[in-house]
Amino acid sequence: MSGSDDILVAEKISKRFDGRVALDGASLTVKRGSITGVIGPNGSGKSTLFNIIAGTLAPNSGRVYIQGQDVTGSSAAEICRRGVGRTFQISRLFAEMTVMENLVAVAHGIDDRAAVKRALELMEFLEITFIADKWGSELSYGQRKLVEIARALMLQPVIMLLDEPFAGINPRLQNRIVEHLRALCAKGLTVFFIDHEMRIVLSECDVVYVLAEGSVIASGPPERVRDDPRVLDAYF
Amino acid sequence: MPVSELLIGGLLLGGLYALMACGLNLIFGVMRVINFAHGELLAIGALSTVSLVGGYAFPFWAAVLLVPLLTAAIGLLMYKLVLQRLVHAPMIMTLLATYAISTILVNAAILTWGGGYKGLPGVLTGSVQLLGVNVSVSRLVAFLVALGTSLAVWWVLEKTRFGRAVRSVSQAPELAEISGISLDFVRNATFALGAAMAGLAGVLMAPTFASDPQLGARFLIKAFAVIIVGGMGSYPGAIAAALLLGVVEVVGGYFTGAVIGSALLFLLMLAVLLVRPRGLLGVGART
Amino acid sequence: MKTLAILLAAGFLALTVPFWGTDYAVSFTIQMLVFMILAYSWNLIGGYTGYTHFGQVCFFGVGGYTGALLVTKLGIAWYFAVPLAALMGVLLAVPLGMAMLRLKGPYFAIGMFGLARVLESFVLGFDSLTQGGTGLYLTPLSNLKPVYFTLVVLALVMMIATWRLDNSRLGLKLLAIREDEQAAEALGVRTTRLKVGTFVVSAIAPAAVGALYAAYLGFIDPPTAFSPVMELTTIAIVLLGGMGTVFGPLVGAVVLSVINELLWARFPEGYLAIVGTLILLAVLFMPRGIVNLAMKKGWLPAGRGLLRQLAREDGRAPPKPAPPLADDVKRVQA
Repeated sequence: MSGSDDILVAEKISKRFDGRVALDGASLTVKRGSITGVIGPNGSGKSTLFNIIAGTLAPNSGRVYIQGQDVTGSSAAEICRRGVGRTFQISRLFAEMTVMENLVAVAHGIDDRAAVKRALELMEFLEITFIADKWGSELSYGQRKLVEIARALMLQPVIMLLDEPFAGINPRLQNRIVEHLRALCAKGLTVFFIDHEMRIVLSECDVVYVLAEGSVIASGPPERVRDDPRVLDAYF
Repeated sequence: MPVSELLIGGLLLGGLYALMACGLNLIFGVMRVINFAHGELLAIGALSTVSLVGGYAFPFWAAVLLVPLLTAAIGLLMYKLVLQRLVHAPMIMTLLATYAISTILVNAAILTWGGGYKGLPGVLTGSVQLLGVNVSVSRLVAFLVALGTSLAVWWVLEKTRFGRAVRSVSQAPELAEISGISLDFVRNATFALGAAMAGLAGVLMAPTFASDPQLGARFLIKAFAVIIVGGMGSYPGAIAAALLLGVVEVVGGYFTGAVIGSALLFLLMLAVLLVRPRGLLGVGART
Repeated sequence: MKTLAILLAAGFLALTVPFWGTDYAVSFTIQMLVFMILAYSWNLIGGYTGYTHFGQVCFFGVGGYTGALLVTKLGIAWYFAVPLAALMGVLLAVPLGMAMLRLKGPYFAIGMFGLARVLESFVLGFDSLTQGGTGLYLTPLSNLKPVYFTLVVLALVMMIATWRLDNSRLGLKLLAIREDEQAAEALGVRTTRLKVGTFVVSAIAPAAVGALYAAYLGFIDPPTAFSPVMELTTIAIVLLGGMGTVFGPLVGAVVLSVINELLWARFPEGYLAIVGTLILLAVLFMPRGIVNLAMKKGWLPAGRGLLRQLAREDGRAPPKPAPPLADDVKRVQA
């Protein structure tokens, strides 16, 4: 059914809201160590798909597998325990806690000292050590995105689910984030994200899925997807 | 037959609960504020009526018109001085604020009227026969005016431009603002209206029940129970639940004694909160 | 460490009061300690975890009546009755917590309020057991010192427990629940377990104090046991002092007790209004409380210093303490 290299598999996911079809048999596979992106015009269902995979929504039909285990319908907390770290589209940092506290609060299975060490390493890696003592509510938009990523990484996940990580930030920061993610993928992390920013998806991903009106209309390496007429059709 | 007597008694009480709960619900719908001070507005309404009618020999219908204006004014003051500044604050802060205001009002009431009970004898006396049951005029009048007002406000909400504005602010404030509705005006007006309804309930209660400054707390909890059972934010839900709970209280009280009888309401509220937090018709309450 | 030193000093000071103070001073301090302990307990579930509610008197009242009944009906000495009352509080809190904590913010708050009224009604109603509205009378204590010392010890325990919590990852997890429960849950924080646990812990001291208070007064009745004014005062203390801080309940209890005394002496008729106004002023202008202001100005050691300490030891991060947030009720949307 799925090789041990398939970290995340979504099989024929369908979801409707009050009679409106959001997803119609969407399927995708994410391989270990890859950066996989999902793009699609507004209303294509990518947010719905993301939330179903992340456990915030349950599908009407279809299955989701993480590391070979069926996690369909599991809660967000259960999905997290399976080795999934996630960020939120509108950042949900803990406002009245410092960045350091935001990171350490979610660490589990290790003692305080190790948690602080890991937090400091991550902040260094993402070059955000200088805001360690700032309150969550004081950060700039770009800083928030970085802290969200760091916070999810604290869980040492097998796969990172990023919800529109590149939205609204300048290209230089986008590239920086991609660099960091690449470095982590080299060490075995898998990255899966949805976004609107076609530039970054089509240039940096290993695999791209294009969603339109609830189903996958194209998939594969960016070069192939870029020139697919169905993709151009969906957007224009 | 005690059953029909109890039922009618329950419904009559329910009418008053409906008026209270509807005012509370209006305010909650538009401002997402649970107005802890609502009960005090009721008490002040009742006590003012006693003063006006009992003390200064105003006719009862004058109190019906004037006292709600007084409580509306107090409500507006509450909103302008305090709650307006807390529109974007976390819910707990507004809860604490209205809780604090309620204690200030209770104190003010005690200072104005003393802490004891005050009755209003000689107003709306006598009884009539209704479906074979002896019903006191004061209760019947209270029921008719209370229920009538609640239904009238419901009509305003559904059928008038103002009502539509109120509803759109309740459901989607940002959208309402974009479409040109003055959020501030709607909030002010709704708060005043809700406060007026509480005051009116107080007026109607004064002839039947003994009024005291602590009356507010007792009635408030029942009004809460009503809107939770009916569903927070649902206006018809509040009316239906009010009548239901009025009956539950009277019938339950008959069989288990007055003390446990009033506890029944809270138990029902707790049961609803746990089993069906949406209430009969309302919006969500679960984490 | 500075924080611990201050707390122990306060505790020490309190312990000495019966030896140099008048009876009046002892009574005053007893009242203050009762409120302090209640405030520290409420601070756990309300201040740290963010589940504010108006029903702490449930546990105070149940503890009070349990203690009083054990003493009057079974002849148990008060110092055995108090821990049993605390146990009763826990037994009540476990199912209650599991049921009620499923509710969102204001529904939880009101639900607990309603529960307090239900319990009050029940106690009033079962008058064959509880003497209903008349209340229960206990033999007055000849010597208040043991009760006094027990209260001081209890207060110290709560203060030190809060200090430990403030400097622990558990504390951070509770704060995470307060800040954004759903996000915390999605990132692996075991929110249900932590919420219920904290709720139960927050019930122990109030139940114990209820029994102690009944022993101290020699009397308990429903209005005393389930007093909404007591609830209001407790919350006012935590709010004024500073929610989710170590010194908050301490400072708030002292300040409010002093104001209380002054008010009862000069304006007994205006007490409610003045406490209410204080809460309003705190909500409008100082929602983070006195302690946060003090920490900002450096009068009190900054809170939650564990991580900074560990970071310093790690050598990577600069040891700059973070000033607390500006006093602003408006929350910035992320």
